[in-house]
Amino acid sequence: MATENVFECRNLHYAYRGKFPALCGIDMTVAAGERVALVGANGSGKSTLLNLLDGLQFADRGAVAYRGQELTEAAFADEAFASRFRRSVGLVFQNPDIQLFCPTVREDIAFGPLQFGVDQQTVAARIAELAETLGIAPLLDRSPHQLSVGEKRKVSLATVLISDPDVLLLDEPTAGLDPRTTTHLIDMLDAFAHAGKTVITATHDLHILEDIADRVCVFGQDRTIAGRGTPEEILADEPLLKANNLIHVHHHHAHDHRVMAHNG
Amino acid sequence: MRHGKGFIEQTLGGAFAFFRQALYDDETASQPGLLQSLDPRVKAASLLSFLLLALFTRSLALLGVLYLLSLILASLSRVPLGSFLLRTWVFIPLFSLFIAIPALFGIVSPGRVVVSICGLAVTEQGIRAASFFLGRVITSVSLTVLLSMTTRHFELLKALRSFGVPQVFVMVLGISYRYIYLFVGIVEDTYRAIKSRGGSGVHCRNGQRIVTWNMAHLWTRSYRLNEQVYSAMLARGFRGEPVALDVFRARGRDWLWLAGCAATIFVLVYAEVTLGK
Repeated sequence: MATENVFECRNLHYAYRGKFPALCGIDMTVAAGERVALVGANGSGKSTLLNLLDGLQFADRGAVAYRGQELTEAAFADEAFASRFRRSVGLVFQNPDIQLFCPTVREDIAFGPLQFGVDQQTVAARIAELAETLGIAPLLDRSPHQLSVGEKRKVSLATVLISDPDVLLLDEPTAGLDPRTTTHLIDMLDAFAHAGKTVITATHDLHILEDIADRVCVFGQDRTIAGRGTPEEILADEPLLKANNLIHVHHHHAHDHRVMAHNG
Repeated sequence: MRHGKGFIEQTLGGAFAFFRQALYDDETASQPGLLQSLDPRVKAASLLSFLLLALFTRSLALLGVLYLLSLILASLSRVPLGSFLLRTWVFIPLFSLFIAIPALFGIVSPGRVVVSICGLAVTEQGIRAASFFLGRVITSVSLTVLLSMTTRHFELLKALRSFGVPQVFVMVLGISYRYIYLFVGIVEDTYRAIKSRGGSGVHCRNGQRIVTWNMAHLWTRSYRLNEQVYSAMLARGFRGEPVALDVFRARGRDWLWLAGCAATIFVLVYAEVTLGK
């Protein structure tokens, strides 16, 4: 039996204000239950693609489809489709201060399901359960501005997981996290993927690729997909990573200088 | 070498102190205490009733009783009395006294002369009018500060829903409350960055330029953030009609408190009416 495609992007183009190109012809498919990493340097269009996949921005040219339904403004004008899509696809923004807009953590986590019409008691019960799983129970009545970056990231994830989406879109989930919190976050994503969910992660953290993805798309500076493959294949392709500013060329130069100085 | 704080530093320092105070208030509101244990809606309604009584009473003694009540409630709610008195008394002499002083004299309040100062007669009616004014202000301010110090700010906002304020308005206030701290943080960081690069001895004109530029920059950031937050809301199912978590549950002690407040108000009004005859 063929696996259903969750997302399908065809020749996707997007430019900010019509003149600052962010995506220049992206072709990509994501199958149900797949773990895909979008890797690229800053400004390569990863976040823009996630916004397009979440129906927050719409393509200038080309198309993006979710389970066969093209994502357009007209499609989101249909209440039934919009509600179904928002329940099924969750986006965790790169900046937790955007994600967490309510005065308390509890209200922030409750926001999504309440908009979908889930009753107050069910929401309260789900919050308690999720907070226990993520270890954020002591934070529930605090204000987001009182949290550390790691805590904010966990709460951001909770705001999306509470709606139990089929697809999780993550924008730089490990940015600014210490190694321990990063490991915890990877474990959580792993558990989510094991439940058969689709996970698409935008990142430039190569260390986590093998843990979070089955397939990697490398975004080039020309805002197209410069390479695709398994994490092992991509990590082994040094010229590809260097050409797209994903490895420390500078570090190697410094190392070469040190070796030269040592050898006299 | 410059020792004094400049205008910018003083202004920013004042703003940061205000927000630190707001954070401190949230801490006080999170501590165990009489008023903290009540449902915010019940607490707001009861303190508002006392406030209305203070505004409409014609008895100085009753004003005194209400002020005393605010002090007792502050004490039972473990509000630090020093901080409470400072906040309720600092601005009153500054503003209310300026307004009340002319009322002391016969020109404004004609009546029986009690004493003459530099040829100006202070009348009994004047003293009474000024005392009423000051008494009402101090009691109202005390009750309001007490409510603010014993209720977490977001709970106070949510309590507004019970007084008929539309959900969308409460939500906008809540989001503003959330982001004001973020922007204060940005301003604080920007100012620290300026100080680390240019020291505190920035020339006045240069300082004005920096502040103006930062105001514009902050406005642009807030505008961008506004769009991004709206996207985040859409992504989580917002369709224009917000639904918020209903966290308040009135318990037995709330009803008991409400009944006690109603009885107190009844006794005070009855005493004023009967003793006033």
